[in-house]
Amino acid sequence: MTAKRLRVFALLAISVVFLLAWAFPIIWSVLNSLKTDSDVLAYPPKLVFAPTLDAYRDVLFGSGSILPNLLSSVIISVGTTVVTMLMAVPAAYALARLRFRGKRFAGFYVLATQMLPPVGIIIPYFLVLRNIGWIDTYQGIILIYLSFSLPFAIWLLVSYFEDIPFEMEEAAYLDGASRLKTLWRIIIPQVRGGIAVTVVFVFLNAWNEFLFAVVLSGNTVRPVTVAMFNFVSVEQTLWAKLAAVSVLAMLPVVVLGVVAQKHIVKGLTVGAVKGGGRR
Amino acid sequence: MTSFKPTRRTLLKTGTAAAALATFGPGILRHASAQDADLAPYKSAQIDWQQVSGETITVAVIPASYFENLITLAPQFKALTGIDVRFEKIPPAQIRQKSVIDLTSKTGTYATHAADPMYYALYAANKWVEPLDTYLNDKSLTDQAWFKLDDIIPAWRSANGIDGKLYGMPYDGEVTIQVYRKDLYDAKGLKPADTLEAYMSNAAALNTPNDRVWGAALRGVAGAGQNMYIYPSIFREFGGDWMKGGKLTVNGPEAEAALAWYVDIMKKYAPTAAANWNWPDIADAFSQGTVASYIDAHSSASVINNPEKSKVIGKVAYARWPKGPSGKRTTSIWNWGFPINSALPEKKRKATWLFIQWAASAETQARTAHRFAGPTKRSGVNRTSVWKDPDYIKLMNGFGENFVEAAMGALQDDTDVDWRPRVPQWPAIGDTMATAIQSALSGQATIKAALDDAQRRIEPMMRG
Repeated sequence: MTAKRLRVFALLAISVVFLLAWAFPIIWSVLNSLKTDSDVLAYPPKLVFAPTLDAYRDVLFGSGSILPNLLSSVIISVGTTVVTMLMAVPAAYALARLRFRGKRFAGFYVLATQMLPPVGIIIPYFLVLRNIGWIDTYQGIILIYLSFSLPFAIWLLVSYFEDIPFEMEEAAYLDGASRLKTLWRIIIPQVRGGIAVTVVFVFLNAWNEFLFAVVLSGNTVRPVTVAMFNFVSVEQTLWAKLAAVSVLAMLPVVVLGVVAQKHIVKGLTVGAVKGGGRR
Repeated sequence: MTSFKPTRRTLLKTGTAAAALATFGPGILRHASAQDADLAPYKSAQIDWQQVSGETITVAVIPASYFENLITLAPQFKALTGIDVRFEKIPPAQIRQKSVIDLTSKTGTYATHAADPMYYALYAANKWVEPLDTYLNDKSLTDQAWFKLDDIIPAWRSANGIDGKLYGMPYDGEVTIQVYRKDLYDAKGLKPADTLEAYMSNAAALNTPNDRVWGAALRGVAGAGQNMYIYPSIFREFGGDWMKGGKLTVNGPEAEAALAWYVDIMKKYAPTAAANWNWPDIADAFSQGTVASYIDAHSSASVINNPEKSKVIGKVAYARWPKGPSGKRTTSIWNWGFPINSALPEKKRKATWLFIQWAASAETQARTAHRFAGPTKRSGVNRTSVWKDPDYIKLMNGFGENFVEAAMGALQDDTDVDWRPRVPQWPAIGDTMATAIQSALSGQATIKAALDDAQRRIEPMMRG
């Protein structure tokens, strides 16, 4: 074997080690979800075992099925994402393009709301929702999620809008397009990548949120992040079931990631390609 | 006798009936069992169970088999009282957070919740929950001769009391005992330890990491109910007094000796990972045969005897917590109790009390324990009379040699209601102590430095 081939092999081996380290939590969850409880606890850990789908069957169709919780998570995450995007796109466009009094302050104010520690605002949120009777409702949780997903989405989108050359818009105006039409026909297609990135992040944040969900949800609305904890009781941790729920909870996110991948790559590199068109 | 000849029609009919039963059966049966359940033992109480019929209350519990059993019986409660109970299951770490938010904001979301004894000082100081004597002494609400408050384990009652007043009714509880592998002890001619010193030497004798057996394990993970569940008992056994001269003191010479013992046994004879273990992890390791002995809640017996997971069934025995240098034993007594939320309107408070009285009664305790139809039986019943019931004893002694004797002995004689400092500031103090213990265990600080630091942090909390 030549020295060059040896070097390639060494590099490959190192990459595999890094890849395994990176993927370890996922591999661990998937393996445990296919084991029986006694196999999970086996020491040294069993790499060869008889796989079983019992854990999946239990968590999906058993008495404490998490299907309603997965549905709750989907409704909350999709709801939050849709409402956030409907509001964030025009807001970000306005901050990036329009001239108006107090623009600087508005931009800062949006960001400032992100600086509050979540634990500090949980009691006021609880009281507000309680007073309007929105505890344990979808609209209540989505409203609270908006309070942190919206500023995040606006700030992410502003940078994409700022990267679009003014000339494109001006050309559209010269052709007689209204501002709204320009936004819809010219601008939004240009920032598709940015919108995809934002959608993924907003969805992910809502999907993974736990702190607000555990306090503001109840028996009616209970996302999977909260339900998952029911497999960690004071008596024991049901590792196989916990792993099965984790894998199930990861699936929609993986699917979304794969679907949006093309746009994300475009969105992440857009600044690099254009070198920025900020004025 | 006519012989049964199935025709196509009868087969179809039977099939349809069977399918219908399979679909709706469980619901129908559950409903029927609620209706047919013998409510006579409850109706013998001289109170009107139906006095607030039609009320709905929400009860927050943690996901645990002993509450699941109670939830299964809720239709019986509904049939008895006409009160609807909505149960909400919340993970243990969050139930405290959620209930405190509910109590602070006086929103009355949870009529009652599974409450930690250490929180009553805070609850009572803020009048968030009702003193229960008001309800116990009201003849229209409680038949004292039927309810028999004195039958409820005194140690748990005193843990839930502040200045002699009861604030939470114990439903299910635990006490710490020694759990050990009788086969390993017998092979070396060892006896369960009577003193902390003997516990250490037993651990030394059994510690053979090369064979993957460690001598002992105690909770190591940092937290107010974690390493601070075990350490306070050791501290008391070394003669420690939390409120020395009326001032909360955590860094005296007894504290140093106690922490040194804990760090010593954990470093020398426990698996390294135990520094991050909570009790389910210890019980799991023990059930896999890698730990020779541990001291923790007696309720872990069901995990180490779970036929689906455990490899040590039939090899387990129990003993009381070893004595400390002070000559006394101090176990960590603990229970989930039900308080009454003060923010509720009067009718709901009454409904809540009827629920609590029902759940804590000897009858419901037996129905959720040895007389429970499901697979999981409770080991933490709140009544002395149930602990003496031959059926219950028979069932519990299935967990291993000397189980009932060790648990009952510990509950009756080895408790000390002040095993933790019972002050409203406890949650923050417990966390501060927990961090100090962990820094000593991990070697980040010396024992003295860790305790001095904790004292420095705790003093302002006691002033505020």
